Amino acid sequence: MTDLLANLGLGFAVALSLQNVTLCFLGCLVGTLIGVLPGVGPIATIAMLLPITFGLDPVGALIMLAGIYYGAQYGGSTTAILVNIPGEATSVVTTLDGHQMARQGRAGVALGIAAIGSFFAGTVATLLIAALGAPLTRLALIFGPAEYFALMVMGLAFAVVLAHGSVLKAVAMILVGVLLAAVGTDLETGQERMTFGLAFLTDGVDFSVLAMGLFGVAEILRNLDQTETREIARARIGRLLPSLADLRQVAPATLRGTAIGAILGILPGNGAVLGPFAAYTVEKRLARDPSRFGRGAIEGVAGPESANNAGAQTAFIPLLTLGIPPNAVMALMVGAMTIHGIVPGPGVMTKNPNLFWGMIASMWIGNLMLLVINLPLVGLWVRLLQVPYRLMFPAILMFCAIGIYSINALPTDVMLIAAFGVFGYGLIKFGFEPAPLLLGFVLGKLMEEYLRRALTLSRGDVLVFLERPVCAVLFLVAVTILAAALLPSLRRGRDAVFTEA
Amino acid sequence: MSDASDGVRRAGSVVRAPQSFVAGLVLVLLGMFGVWAASDLPRGTLGAMGPGMLPHWVAIGVALCGGVLAATGLVRAGAGLQTFGLRGPLVVVLAILAFAVTIRPFALGPVAGPGLGLIVAGPLAVIVGGYATPEARFRELLILALLLTAGCMLLFGDLLNLPIPIFPTAVIEAASGRIPSRVLLRLAAGALALAGLGLLALERRATRRTRTDVAPHAMTT
Repeated sequence: MTDLLANLGLGFAVALSLQNVTLCFLGCLVGTLIGVLPGVGPIATIAMLLPITFGLDPVGALIMLAGIYYGAQYGGSTTAILVNIPGEATSVVTTLDGHQMARQGRAGVALGIAAIGSFFAGTVATLLIAALGAPLTRLALIFGPAEYFALMVMGLAFAVVLAHGSVLKAVAMILVGVLLAAVGTDLETGQERMTFGLAFLTDGVDFSVLAMGLFGVAEILRNLDQTETREIARARIGRLLPSLADLRQVAPATLRGTAIGAILGILPGNGAVLGPFAAYTVEKRLARDPSRFGRGAIEGVAGPESANNAGAQTAFIPLLTLGIPPNAVMALMVGAMTIHGIVPGPGVMTKNPNLFWGMIASMWIGNLMLLVINLPLVGLWVRLLQVPYRLMFPAILMFCAIGIYSINALPTDVMLIAAFGVFGYGLIKFGFEPAPLLLGFVLGKLMEEYLRRALTLSRGDVLVFLERPVCAVLFLVAVTILAAALLPSLRRGRDAVFTEA
Repeated sequence: MSDASDGVRRAGSVVRAPQSFVAGLVLVLLGMFGVWAASDLPRGTLGAMGPGMLPHWVAIGVALCGGVLAATGLVRAGAGLQTFGLRGPLVVVLAILAFAVTIRPFALGPVAGPGLGLIVAGPLAVIVGGYATPEARFRELLILALLLTAGCMLLFGDLLNLPIPIFPTAVIEAASGRIPSRVLLRLAAGALALAGLGLLALERRATRRTRTDVAPHAMTT
């Protein structure tokens, strides 16, 4: 306990320096600004803004990126409430009751509750990360390559189960991602793989290029297909601060949402996505009068929003302790860390305590900033939302091009985002989800490395994965949930969680 | 595009979920392509995996998934093919390519770009890209392009100091030694911003004049 306090003290000392507080503030502000734009989710926002952080020192850069992430996430909730367009998968549920509240002239209260719920969830999640960080890191140190491989397989299995739609399509996407990750120079032998002699493929496909193509450009193409139906809440925003009665009503929902979101967020394989759906379902089941849900029930905003934010934050745990990014956003964080010469994993905490604890402390500060920034700026976001898409997407396009160009100063990277954009558009049209592909791409490289190392150590004996107890358990979990997802009865249950909401 | 979907729909008696069926076939092709692309790499043994081992088996996995997906498309009824927009993808790709070949001197085989910097590549991307939607209006896009480019020049070039070329190489050579690059950047950004704001003011005045006749207060809500 004293350790924890001392560590948090160190963290706050780092995070509260003038430079870092400013960066955190700027990150939250810019993140919200871009995240509010409909059709730009956190992944595209971070990929677009990544170059801005290049010139900073590692601690400042990661604090700013984390701020951008929370900002983008909160921006997504704002669009969900005001325009009925979820900025990303996790704010889908917020549209249900949040937008109804907005139509009833209670948009302000919905936004306020979302911000307060998120702040509370963020506070709890910060403490959780601080408490779990040290023990999990110790656990990570006894993990060998076989265990890491098994852990990643389990993460991917979760990603398959948690993806919407067909299990088969999600598996296919992950495999395509792993295949894409194999392009480039082989780390062990130095041999070029599947580069077709093209010089710009020698280093492989850059992660941010893939992310920007699949999530930035493809999203633009998809939006261009639909004629615009944005219904901005025309009614007054109303007052922002919820009344005491409101607060009393949402308090239990916020607590439950935080708990659900925090637990699911730790799961490798993007458990955070499930949090808001699960929280909404729970609130609806527990409510005395479930028929209020979908008609502007305030708990229907508070629960999922708290879960959303708690999950967004606890998703940092696998990254910071084990070095395994559980979802695409965290994969971008890996990219950012490597650019600054930091290898994510158990070493971060011991080698860069400033960075580790500073980042954790900045999470709490970031959440406070969101509360401070968003409540007075709601008017500005509303005006931003009125910008027609025909003006918005050329701007997004230009930011994407500049952002990608400035990472490696390669025009071929810019061309590749066009190629991946069209590819992603095709995927969407054929009912595939690009998120598992991205996760497969990130984990693919790590997995191959650990698989090869594990098999070299065991002299090619595949049974090593079953002989080591931790490893065997992880594989068992992976197989069980995959099998469960394929069982018809459970599959119906899974679909229900996603659609009932 | 519509021909293809019609064709599949006509064969509806055999293919019950065209979307899954076609997607599966594409995956099979992709997997086969992967197997071919990795075929020249040594696979090694389990104890000492070569560079070709993982790509080979993963590509086979992709093809298998595709095969099963296509098969389910024959058995189980499902979604039909969606219509693809052509204008959007084509124009957006064109805009990105325009940016890529003009941002810096560039040569890919016989094609060579002159290297015009952000000041040309930026507006080019915005204006060309804007035409991806039929609602595009040239004046609007021009104003947007001018203001955005000015903003990006200041943000990325001046404030963040990212190594992104701002001006055409010829201009940089002519100006080197005479005007400090920072000053040049700020002057140019200022000029672009002024031009953009001027156009915007003109546009506003024009619309306001027409608007006062038509709808005096409906727009204020």
